[in-house]
Amino acid sequence: MKISLNWLKSYVPIQMDVDALADALTMAGLEVEALVDRYEYLKNVVVGRVIGITSHPNSDKLRCCVVDSGKAHVAVVCGAPNVQIDCLTALALPGTQLPDGPLIEAGVIRGAGSEGMLCSEGELGLGPDHSGIMILDASLMVGDSLATALSLSDWVLEIGLTPNRSDCLSLIGIAREVAAIQGNSLSYPVIKLPQGKGDIHQMTSVSILAPGHCPRYAARILTGAGVQPSPFWLQDRLISVGIRPVNNVVDITNFVMMETGQPLHAFDFDRLAGQRIVVRTAAAGESFITIDHKSRTLTADMLMICDGEKPVAVAGVMGGCNSEIEADTQSILIESACFEPAGIRKTAKYFGLNTDASHRFERGVDPEGAVFAVDRAAALMVDICGGILVEGLIDERPIIQKRQPLVFSADAANRLLGTQIDSADMDRMLESVGFTVEPMNPDQRKVTPPSFRVDVSRPVDLVEEIARISGYDRIPTTFPVISAGSTRSTPSQSPREQILRLMTGLGFSETITYSFVHPSSCNYLRLEPGDLRMRALGVLNPLSEDQAIMRTSLIPGMLETVHRNFSMQSRNLKLFEAGNVFISNGQDALPDEIEMLCGLWTGARQEVSWHMPDTACDFYDIKGVVESLLAALHIHHARFSRDTAQSCSYLKPGYASGIQCNGQVVGHIGQMHSETLEYFNIKQAIYVFELDIRKLFAAVPNFQQAAAIPRYPAVARDITLILPKALESGQIIEMVQAMRDPIVERILLFDVFEGGHLPSDKKSLSFRLIYRSAAGTLEDEAVNTHHRGISDKLIQHFDAKLP
Amino acid sequence: MGMSGSKCQPLRSISIQREPANGAKSHRLIHRISDPAFLTAEHKIVEQEIEQILHQAKSELQSVSQTAQIQALSVQYLGRKGLVTQYLRNISQLPPEQRPMAGKRANEIKMILEEALQKALLEIETRLATEDVGIDVSLPGRTVFQGTLHPITRITRQICEIFTAMGFDIAEGPEVELDHYNFESLNIPKNHPARDMQDTFYVSESIVLRTHTSPIQVRYMEKHAPPVKIIAPGKVYRCDSDITHTPMFHQVEGLVVGESISFGDLKGILTAFVHQMFDDQTSLRFRPSFFPFTEPSAEVDILCVMCRGKGCRVCKQTGWLEVLGSGMVHPAVFENVGYDTSRYSGFAFGMGIERIAMLKFGIDDIRKYYENDIRFLKQF
Ligand SMILES: [Zn+2]
Repeated sequence: MKISLNWLKSYVPIQMDVDALADALTMAGLEVEALVDRYEYLKNVVVGRVIGITSHPNSDKLRCCVVDSGKAHVAVVCGAPNVQIDCLTALALPGTQLPDGPLIEAGVIRGAGSEGMLCSEGELGLGPDHSGIMILDASLMVGDSLATALSLSDWVLEIGLTPNRSDCLSLIGIAREVAAIQGNSLSYPVIKLPQGKGDIHQMTSVSILAPGHCPRYAARILTGAGVQPSPFWLQDRLISVGIRPVNNVVDITNFVMMETGQPLHAFDFDRLAGQRIVVRTAAAGESFITIDHKSRTLTADMLMICDGEKPVAVAGVMGGCNSEIEADTQSILIESACFEPAGIRKTAKYFGLNTDASHRFERGVDPEGAVFAVDRAAALMVDICGGILVEGLIDERPIIQKRQPLVFSADAANRLLGTQIDSADMDRMLESVGFTVEPMNPDQRKVTPPSFRVDVSRPVDLVEEIARISGYDRIPTTFPVISAGSTRSTPSQSPREQILRLMTGLGFSETITYSFVHPSSCNYLRLEPGDLRMRALGVLNPLSEDQAIMRTSLIPGMLETVHRNFSMQSRNLKLFEAGNVFISNGQDALPDEIEMLCGLWTGARQEVSWHMPDTACDFYDIKGVVESLLAALHIHHARFSRDTAQSCSYLKPGYASGIQCNGQVVGHIGQMHSETLEYFNIKQAIYVFELDIRKLFAAVPNFQQAAAIPRYPAVARDITLILPKALESGQIIEMVQAMRDPIVERILLFDVFEGGHLPSDKKSLSFRLIYRSAAGTLEDEAVNTHHRGISDKLIQHFDAKLP
Repeated sequence: MGMSGSKCQPLRSISIQREPANGAKSHRLIHRISDPAFLTAEHKIVEQEIEQILHQAKSELQSVSQTAQIQALSVQYLGRKGLVTQYLRNISQLPPEQRPMAGKRANEIKMILEEALQKALLEIETRLATEDVGIDVSLPGRTVFQGTLHPITRITRQICEIFTAMGFDIAEGPEVELDHYNFESLNIPKNHPARDMQDTFYVSESIVLRTHTSPIQVRYMEKHAPPVKIIAPGKVYRCDSDITHTPMFHQVEGLVVGESISFGDLKGILTAFVHQMFDDQTSLRFRPSFFPFTEPSAEVDILCVMCRGKGCRVCKQTGWLEVLGSGMVHPAVFENVGYDTSRYSGFAFGMGIERIAMLKFGIDDIRKYYENDIRFLKQF
């Protein structure tokens, strides 16, 4: 909200400079977000003396003047009738932005050079007169800035109000805070209502049919008013706080709203059917045209201000075209009402409107302020619009909520704040912002909040007032005395932390991508209809279509990242992300959030170097990463096999595997399917793995006691088998492991050979078996027997040949 | 530039190998002793033979230039089957009166030869050492590239470490959250203007993407009795996107509940945190604000870390940076989780991690965090 310092000064004398005021307001909880010099736009406007006038070569209306700007003689083309030699006037130099006008630039006007502009007070926004240039007092100094010469000075404070402080949505509200800060008092405007004519109660009536939505409705009527532009001072006030003047009637309602915080609405009384007001909820489907000329369809719970026949305003939000003040309006009904906040908010939201009125009603207006505001507006209208006041006031008040006092304990307040403020000081602080304090005993008092503090409903709200007024900086800084935390969690041991450590150690850089993705992502992954990852949760109001569903896999986000990096010429990437995916349980239930790890490798195996050939990474590189990760977590005997790759529709067939630990598939690994890559416009081979972190850590064995280091030497024996190409080497190793030969310590694959003399459907695999006994050194003969036994079984089982 | 491994053998302390590792035999030397039966037990030695061996060894030694040759000579003469060893072994064949002298002489010669071989080896190694230009140590090594953590993760981790060191536990909660936990239980009813403080992504009428990490407070308190001392990091979502807002970002929430926890304690904990996160010179400013779930509420500003309070672009010339929201837990929140408000009090605070990372790393555009440009990521 914008506040003009000059306007503010009409309610409270201000004893500090504007910076100090801004600071003080900020520290009182009314954050001053910006402080703007209102006359900043006049900085290139100076007092100039016209020292030469000649006729314009191409125009009878224009004249060419030479103006002394105090620094130079400036040529200015001027069309004003009142320009005279030697007169002092306002000279706008190039760079000046006139309010609602052009930017002044040096140029040529119909063939004559002009390096500035002589301005009227209207053009400068300093007065109503547009008829000719400003003629300034001859005693002013030529060359002085106009603002200095005329003592024009005002500051606009832009205050970021928190939603609770509706009492500060007005000049008087802010002035009240300033008075409390300075310890002085506030002067309310004095209202002098003239004796009216007739009787309002004979002329009209207000019936509130929805009292729950409208606890109060006050109104006054004027007749014989003249609708005109407002006087300059009124327009100037409104402009200073960013409101556009409309006409005197509307301007007065806005002025009083800014002054008091009470939104007002002026109806053309003669256009109200039946000359009366009915406050009721709308009929569903009813349509209504608001003053912004939009036709709106109403819903049944919306509160409407109606005349004898039809709606004339959306209560508290916006008036209607059918009753708005027009140039020929003579009779005016001024509405000053209280509406229930939640209903107003709902209606305003529904229509996507946020008007000055709805903004205030949503936050709650002072229920005791309605009459003051309507009287203030009526008095101003009599003054300014020349109307005749109708005697009497309508003040329908179906619900009067009496503020109950709160029981406040000074001790409790000090305990909560950690302060030792004297209770008498607390009383004074509360009273300074309008609270009524009635001591019960040395500790407790009954405190009644002022009617405008609709936000105060609990004793703790009073504690905040104390803290705020005494100053947060005066609360001593202490350290909590609390039994040491049980530290149930050791963060560095959390699965996530371990993953982060291991993956960076393996050379992968962490990415964080958005949790929402494009709805087509599931199709891009070529997921089957029954796939769990097809169960995506939609967002009702996404910022864009490509953020419309919650991700069910980390892969689309990773591929987006790859694409973006490729377009920046970064083609060698080792990336990972650890984050949640979301599997929907229907839009009305919380989804399953599953923490996944996704690793991705594309491009070179290692940076270009002198000691290694430049090679691209392949499946076995990414697999090595997974194996290293598993080894670091002490997960041994993980199984990789094509059989477990069923749900890897986004991976290239034959180049994909499940990652199986203890019989459970904890993730997948493989080369990305070219069709998926096409969707992301990627043409380079991409290798990925995805692991379910919870399932992965379920496979981590509890660390048992350390095993003894073997004391006796191992013996190695090799075997080479010729096998069908399609056979997975893992099967051989699994088979050997399944034999559970007690002296087989390990089996490892050390050579794979295809081609050469081998048939095209065959390959040769060479394994090394490490034999060792814990009981003693193995005899060659014994090893040979075991090795022969194992070899024979393998040859037989897999129909293998020896080379 | 020769990079063969043989040249970079270190200078060993001199030790003469008595047995070649590979058992190779130096045939060349055997032939110089003309009689092939020489090495056999049947060979009848004569006293002078040892002088002949010495002479031959010395002349052999003169022509050696490689350490391997020295080793071969050592084996040839002094090894288990070496000439001197054989001579000594066969000394019993000499006439008894010659034996003491011959034995003595043979042992002398053995010593002489050992010394000569040592010396020759030392000379060769010294010579090799001076000739060897070494390796190009400036060539890059075989590095193992270390990956990098995302800046957000780094800052989150740093924040959590500071708080866990102060005895805080870590808590987590769902990112897709019930309206109840995200709003209602935090004293933000439907149709309340406080909802405007957070532009919300909705999944349905009753389900939202959490707009803050505060619902974790409530979920935690529902499950744990006081005292509570937790820190809760996580992703949050708001429908807002520009140079200072991304629709997804990260927060850390803190909650302390106990008997007689005061606003002063809130100031104490946050001051300790800021001093560790930034430095001891970073002063704090607590100013009144409003959050529906705390009362009193405070916005916490820190002295601008860029300009130290002089005023700059980052702090919009104010000298202060808003980094934390905080306050004493609102009694309505305690009531919602069934805590006894007459007995317990507490405070809560929250901060945006992106904001802190921006200050720590001098990042000016929040969107950089989620573009994941590898050239950006690799800097952290
Ligand atoms: Zn700064």
